[in-house]
Amino acid sequence: MRKIIIIGLTLISALYLVGCDNNQLDTSFDATKSITVYTRDTSSGTRTGFMNGIGFGDAAEDNSLLVSGFVTKDNTGILTAMKNDEYGIGFISLASLNNTVKGLAFNGVEPTIANVINNTYSLKRPFNYVIRADGDYGSLDKENLTKAFIAFLGTIDGSDIINDKGAIPLSATGTWDDIKAEHNVCLKDNSNIVIKFGGSDSIEKIAKALSSAFAPKCGGFIAEHDHTGSSDGFKRTQGSEKDSDNAKDVGFASRDFKDTEIGDIGTQGQLAWDAIVAIVNNRNTLNAITQESLKSIYDGTYKVWEDINQ
Amino acid sequence: MEKTLECFKRILGKSKKENIDILIRGIFGISALISASVIIIIIIFITIKGVTPFISYNQGLGQVNIFRFLTGRVWLDGAAFSSSLYGVGFIIINTVYIALLSLMISMPIGVLTALFIAKVAPQRLSIFLRTVVELLSAIPSIVYGLFGSGVILVLVYNFAELVGIQSKGGNSVIATVLVLSLMSLPTITAISEVAIRSVGKDIELGSLALGATKTQTNFKVVLASAKSGIFASAILGVGRALGEATAVSLVAGNSKSGPSLGLFDITSTLTSTMLEGLKETTGLDYDIRFSVGIVLMIVILLTNIILNYVKRKVGSVSVK
Repeated sequence: MRKIIIIGLTLISALYLVGCDNNQLDTSFDATKSITVYTRDTSSGTRTGFMNGIGFGDAAEDNSLLVSGFVTKDNTGILTAMKNDEYGIGFISLASLNNTVKGLAFNGVEPTIANVINNTYSLKRPFNYVIRADGDYGSLDKENLTKAFIAFLGTIDGSDIINDKGAIPLSATGTWDDIKAEHNVCLKDNSNIVIKFGGSDSIEKIAKALSSAFAPKCGGFIAEHDHTGSSDGFKRTQGSEKDSDNAKDVGFASRDFKDTEIGDIGTQGQLAWDAIVAIVNNRNTLNAITQESLKSIYDGTYKVWEDINQ
Repeated sequence: MEKTLECFKRILGKSKKENIDILIRGIFGISALISASVIIIIIIFITIKGVTPFISYNQGLGQVNIFRFLTGRVWLDGAAFSSSLYGVGFIIINTVYIALLSLMISMPIGVLTALFIAKVAPQRLSIFLRTVVELLSAIPSIVYGLFGSGVILVLVYNFAELVGIQSKGGNSVIATVLVLSLMSLPTITAISEVAIRSVGKDIELGSLALGATKTQTNFKVVLASAKSGIFASAILGVGRALGEATAVSLVAGNSKSGPSLGLFDITSTLTSTMLEGLKETTGLDYDIRFSVGIVLMIVILLTNIILNYVKRKVGSVSVK
C-alpha cells in the first residue's frame, strides 16, 4: 500500500517536473522552424472573411489550394492551440482575441476595436442591411415595424446583441427605451404581422438574435428567417426578386453593396463589422504582417518563419 | 357500475388477475417494440440520407463516385459546395489504425488493473479502485476532450520538442490514441474485472495446490480462464474508440488528406470528419456526412465480427 502511494507520488512529481522544465526551457523563438498553419473549416464564415481579406478568396471553400498539412479547428480550438504551439499561425474573430495569444497588426494597423470602427484596420468585412423601398411593404404597419427594427439596430440594446454574437457593432447612442416613443407601431398588437429576413447566411445568427429580442418589444410580430447568401439581400428587397415568393422585408449582405445594388435613399446601412485577426504564440517575434505575407503562408510559398520579411 | 363490470367480465371470460397479466405483457411488448424500432428507424434514416449522394445528382454537382469515395486519399478535391469529389479511404485507415493503437495501450493497463482489483489488492483498496473505475466511465466525452486539448496536447507538444520533432501544436495520432485509451480504459477494466472474478475458485486452488506461485496462477490460470470475458471487454473498448467524436476532434488536428501513420502527424477519424462543420454546412457537404456514418457503421460491424471470431477461436475455460 505504502509502495503504491510512493510510486504514485513519484510519477506525479516526474510529470510535474517535465511540464515545468519545458515552460522554462526554450524561451527563444527559432525562426528556422516550419510554420504550422491553422484554419477554420470550409463551412466557416470567418474563413471566408479571412481568405477574402488576404486576397486568397479562392481558398475560402477549397482546401486543396492551402499549404499541405494544415490543421483544422474551430474558433476556440485555434485560440487554445496558439497558446501552446510556438510555431503556429491561425485566425480568429477579433471579438475573441485575448492576451493569451498575440494578435498581429495587419498592413501596419493594430487589431483593436477602435481601429475597426475608425475604418483603418482592414482585415474585416461590413455587415450591411437593406430594407424595401418606402411604400412597397403592402401595409403601413409592416413598413413602420421594419423601420423600428432598423432603429433598434442602432441602440445600445441592439449593439449588445451584436457584440454577443461576435461582431463589432457601430457606435450606438441611447437605449430602445429612449426612442420607442417615436415608434408607435410597437404599442399595437402585431402578432399577425410577418416580417421576412433574408440575405447573407453569415449574419443569420446575429439577425435571429436581434429579431427574437426585438419582437417582444414591438407587439410580438413574427420573424421569418431565410438566409441564402449576400447576393439575395438586395435582390429580394429591391432587386429583381422583390415581388416574387422569395421577397423579403429586410435583407443582409456581409460585404459592401455593389454599384448595381444601390437602392432608395435611407434604405441601406451598416449594422456591424466582422473583424478577423491573425494570431500567433506570445513567444513569436513577429508583431505585424502584411496581406501578401499571410497569403504566402496560407498558400505554402512561405514554409518557415524566417521567410517572412519583417 | 356493478353491472357494467360484470358485463365486461363475462365478455372477457377471465378473472381480474389474468387481465392484469395480459396488460403487463402488452406493456412489455410495446416497450420492446419501441426500443427495437428506434434502432431500425435510425438505420433506415441514415441509410436513406447516406445513399442519396451516390444516386442523386446533388443539385447539379454530379453523383459521388462510390469507388472513389471508398478509396480516396483526399477528403474533398475542389471547393466545398461546388465539387462532389469526396473520399474517405484514408480516413477509414486512420480510424482503424488509431483504434488498434489505443487498444494496444488500454488493453494491458486495463487487464492488469482488473487483475489487481479482483485478485491482488486488499479489500478496501479494491472497493476504492472499483469506484474510481466506475466514476471514470461516467465522465462525459467532452471532458476527456477538454483534458486532452488542455493537458495531453501540451505534453505531446513538449515531448515532441524534446526528441527534436516539430509537432503541430501536439495535434497528432499519438494524442488521439492517448485520449482514446483513457476513455476505453474504464470499460475494459470493469468488464475484465467481472470476468476475472467469475473464474472458478477451484481452478485457482488447483493451480496453487500444484505448487504454482500466486503470480504464476494469476497470469497462467486466472487470465487464461477469463480470456473470453477479456475479449468481450476489448470489443466494447474498440467500439468506444471507433465511435468517439467530440474528444477526438479536439486533439486530432482534422487532416483533410492522408493516411497519417506517423505518430506525430495530424490525423482525422470518421467521426471527427462527420462532426466537423456539421452545424454550419448544407447540401451535399451535409448529406455526405451520413454516407460517412454508413461507412462507420460498417467498419464497426466488421471489427466486431472479426473480434468475435477471434474470441470464439481462443475459446474459454470453465467460467462461472
